[in-house]
Amino acid sequence: MHFFSQTFKYDHPWSHVVIGMWHKYPNPHCTHVVTVDVIDRSVDPTTGIIRTERVLGCKQKTPTWIVKLFGGSEDAFVREISFVDPASQVATITSVNLSLSQFATCFERIQYTPTSSGQTAFLQTAEIQARMAMWRSMADKMETWLVQRFEQNANLGKAGFTDVLRTMWEAKQQQAAHS
Amino acid sequence: MAHSLSPECTPLKHAYDSCFNTWFEAYLDPHPTNPSASSSHKSTSPQSTPLNATSQAAYAKAQAAEFEARCGRVWREYRACVMKAVHEKGLGELLEQARAENPLKTPPDVRRLRVSANELGMSVLGWAGLEMFKE
Repeated sequence: MHFFSQTFKYDHPWSHVVIGMWHKYPNPHCTHVVTVDVIDRSVDPTTGIIRTERVLGCKQKTPTWIVKLFGGSEDAFVREISFVDPASQVATITSVNLSLSQFATCFERIQYTPTSSGQTAFLQTAEIQARMAMWRSMADKMETWLVQRFEQNANLGKAGFTDVLRTMWEAKQQQAAHS
Repeated sequence: MAHSLSPECTPLKHAYDSCFNTWFEAYLDPHPTNPSASSSHKSTSPQSTPLNATSQAAYAKAQAAEFEARCGRVWREYRACVMKAVHEKGLGELLEQARAENPLKTPPDVRRLRVSANELGMSVLGWAGLEMFKE
C-alpha cells in the first residue's frame, strides 16, 4: 500500500470553491478527464447535505507492460461521491477507480473546509494498493507507477482548479460591476 | 461544461448541469449559517454559529423540494440516458461492485480523515504539514 497526501489553501471563500467544484472540468491542465456524468444526486431534506455520485471518464497513457499483463484500454472510469454540507461548511469527495479495479485500487479523498481568514483549506489523501496476488517486486513497481501518476495528476488538478476558480470568479465580479 | 460519456446524452447533461448550478448557487448564497465561517470573528470551528435545528431543517426541506420542482424532470431524462450508456460501456457491473464495497451513503467523518492524514505524515509524499490547518 502506498500513500499520498497534500494540503493547500485556495484563495477563495468556501462557497466559491464548492460552486467551482462543478466547473472544474474541462480545463487545459487536466486533459486526461474527458467526460463527467452525474449518476445519482440527493438533497437530504433534514440536514440539507447534497450527495452526488458521478462517473468521470479519463484517457490515460498506460505503460505497455501494464496493458500486456492486465489488458485495459485508454479509457478508464472513476466513481466519485461527494457530500456538500452547507450548514457546517464541509465538502468531502471520495473517488475510486472502476476500471482495472481488480488489479489495483486508488482510493482518494478530498476535503474542503473554510479557514478563519476566509480562504479554503484543501486536504487530499490517497491510498494506492495493488490487489492481485503477485510478486512483491511487481506489486511495488505497479504501486510506484500509480503513485507517480497520481501525484502528477494531483498537481495538474490543483493548478487546473486554481485557474478555473480565478477565471470564474473574476468573470462574476466583472458581471456584478457592470450590472 | 464537460461532455457526457455518451455524446447523445451531452445536451441533456448540459441542461441538467445548468439547472443544478443555478439552484446550487442560490442554495448556498443565503444559507443561514453561511456568514459564520467567512466572517472576521476568530474561530477554529466552521460550525461557529449552531443554527436552530428546526429552521435549518425547514430550509433544507424547502430547498430540496425547490430543486425537485425545478430540475426533477430534466434529471430523470438525463439519468435514463446516462444509465443506458453506463451499461452499454460495460460499467454497470463495476459500478454495482463498487457500490456494494463502499456504499458511501453518509458523509465520511471529517475528524477521522484529519487524524488519519496526520498518522500518514511520516510516509507521505509531498507533505506540506498540518500547520496549514492550525489557524
